[in-house]
Amino acid sequence: MSEKTIMVVDDEAHILHVVSLKLGNADFHLLTAADAEEALEIAATNALDLVITDYQMPGPTGLELARRLHAQVGKRELPIILLTAHGLTLEQVELTRAGIACCLSKPFSPREVLAKVHELLPEPAATTAP
Amino acid sequence: MRKSTTRVCLTLALALCLLVAATYWLALQYAPQTTWLLLRGGLVVLAAIVCMALGFHVLQRDWAQDRTDLLNFFKTAALAEAPNAATLAAVTPDARAAFDRVLQYITGLRRRVQELTLQRQELEIQLRLAEVEQRQTQTLLNGISDAVLVTNEFDEVLLANPGAAELFGFGLATALRRPVSELLPDSRVVHDIVELRQNPHRTARRTLDLTIEPKHAAGTNAITPRSFTATLAPVTDPHGLFGGVVTVLHETTRERQIARMKNDFVSHVSHELRTPLSSITAYAELLVDGEAADEKTRQEFYQVIQNEANRLSRLIDNILNISRIESGMVRVSKVPISLSTILKQVLEVARPSAKDKNITLVDQVSQGFFQINADRDMIYQAALNLVSNAIKYTPAGGSVRVAMQTATDGQQVTVFIHDTGVGIPPEALDHLFEKFYRVEAHKTMAKGSGLGLHLTRQIIESVHDGALRVESIPGQGSTFSFTLPILQ
Repeated sequence: MSEKTIMVVDDEAHILHVVSLKLGNADFHLLTAADAEEALEIAATNALDLVITDYQMPGPTGLELARRLHAQVGKRELPIILLTAHGLTLEQVELTRAGIACCLSKPFSPREVLAKVHELLPEPAATTAP
Repeated sequence: MRKSTTRVCLTLALALCLLVAATYWLALQYAPQTTWLLLRGGLVVLAAIVCMALGFHVLQRDWAQDRTDLLNFFKTAALAEAPNAATLAAVTPDARAAFDRVLQYITGLRRRVQELTLQRQELEIQLRLAEVEQRQTQTLLNGISDAVLVTNEFDEVLLANPGAAELFGFGLATALRRPVSELLPDSRVVHDIVELRQNPHRTARRTLDLTIEPKHAAGTNAITPRSFTATLAPVTDPHGLFGGVVTVLHETTRERQIARMKNDFVSHVSHELRTPLSSITAYAELLVDGEAADEKTRQEFYQVIQNEANRLSRLIDNILNISRIESGMVRVSKVPISLSTILKQVLEVARPSAKDKNITLVDQVSQGFFQINADRDMIYQAALNLVSNAIKYTPAGGSVRVAMQTATDGQQVTVFIHDTGVGIPPEALDHLFEKFYRVEAHKTMAKGSGLGLHLTRQIIESVHDGALRVESIPGQGSTFSFTLPILQ
C-alpha cells in the first residue's frame, strides 16, 4: 500500500481539523498531535512521509520539533512544513538549519498546503492507489 | 653763588696766578736779585693761593647745596604727582637738566606702573568673571542628567558632571586635568575622543551607540547594562583652532525598553489576530472548495467561522481597551451603581458555559445596600473576565463560587471568585497580570490571548483605584479578589 502518512501538529484544534480534512480528502493518511512532545511520541512508533507543524506551541517550538525529528533514526530526510503566525520574523538560516522544507504563514490556504504536500511528495497516494 | 659763577671766579684766579707766576719767572730770568720784585711776587703768589682757597671753598659749598637740592627734588618728585615749581626754580640749570632726564624716566616708570596696575585689575576682574562663568557652567552641567565630559587637546578632563562621575565611577573632585583614559578605562568613548582630537579637520560631530555596565560600590553585585547614545563634538576657538572635545552620553535604556515592548506587543497582537483569522479563512476556503461532505459538516464550519470571528472581535476590543487605558485616552463614565446587580448579571451570562462544562456556579452575592462610583461596562467586563477564567480553568465537576464582602468600616467592598480548578504555579503568579502572559501548563486547557487578566487589572487598579489579588494552590484551586471603594 502506497498511502502516504502525514503528521499534523498544532495546538489549535481548528487548524488540525482543517488540514486533516483537506489532506484526508486527498487520500493521505493523517496523524495529529497537539504539541511537540506528543508528536515525538507518535513519530517514534509510526513511519512518516511528511510533517506539518505549527511554530508556536506549548512546550518545544515547531523548529525544535523539526530538529528532534530529524535526529531520529531514519528520519533525517523527513520533509517538514512549518506553519507560523509570526510573519517574516523567522530567519531563513534558522529554518534551513532546522531542515524546514517549506514555511507557510498564517492565515494560510489549505489549497496551498495541499499543493506543497504534492510538491514534496511526488507520488501522491491518490495517483498510485490500485 | 652758584656753581657756574664759582667756576668763572676760580678760572680767573688761576689765570691771574699763572700770569703773576709767569711775570715773576720772567723777572727772575732778566733782572735777578731785585728785592722789591721778590716781595711783590711773593704777595701776588700769596693772593693767588688765597683766591684758589676761597674758590675751592665756594665750590665745595655749592656742591653741597646742589646735592641737598637734588635730594629735595627727588623727594618731591617721588612724593608729589608733579614737581613743585618752586622746587624746580630752586635748582640749578645743570641739575635741572639731570632732573629732567630723571623726571622723564620716573614719569615713564610711573606710567608703566599705572598701566600694569590697570592691567592687573583687569586681569583680576577677568579671572573673577572666568571663575563665575566656570561655576555657572559647572552648575549647568550638574543640572544635566546626561553624562557630560569636556576634554582638552591633551585628552585631559576639563569639565565633568556628576552624571559622568556616577556612570564611570570616578570622583568628581579629583577628575580635573586627569587623562580621560584613566577615568574611562577600556571605553569606546575614549577611543573616539582621541580619534576626534587627532583629526581636528573633521569638525562634524559623531554619535555612537554603546552599552555600559556602570561601576557599583563594593558589596553590590547587581549590574544591569545600560544603553547610551554618545555624541562627541569638537570644540574650536573663534579662530577655528581645535580646543578639545565635548562628550555627552544620553541614556537610551528606557527608550530601547519601550521600543522592545512595542515591538513585542505588535508581534503578540499580530500572532493573536492571525490565529482566529487562520481558522476563518481556512474554513471558508473548505466551504468554497466543497470539502464539507454534508450539510451537517457545513453547518459545523459556519459555526466555527462565527465563533472565531467573535473571538477575533473580542480580541480587538481587548487590545483597544488596554491601549486606551494605558495611554489615558479611555472615556470613563463613572456613575453610582450597584455592584451586586452587576455581579448578578455576570453570573447569569456565565451560567450557560458553566453548565456546558458541568461546573457548579455558586452565587453568594448578597444584596448590598451600597453603591460604588464606577464605569458600569468596565466593572462588568472585569468581573466577567474573572468568572470566565475560573470556569475555563476548572475541570468538569468542579465549582466556581462568587461572593461579596464589605469591610467592617464600610469603606470598601471586596468581591471573591473562588474556583476548584487547576490552580496556578507559584512561579507564574508574578507574571499573571502581564500582557500576553499565559501559564505554560494551561495553554492546552483553554484558548486565551493573555490579555484578559491584564485588562482586568487595568480596569480595577488604574481606572477605579481598587486592588486585584490572587491566591492559588496548584491542583486545588484559585481565588481572585478585587476591592473597590464604597461610595459614601
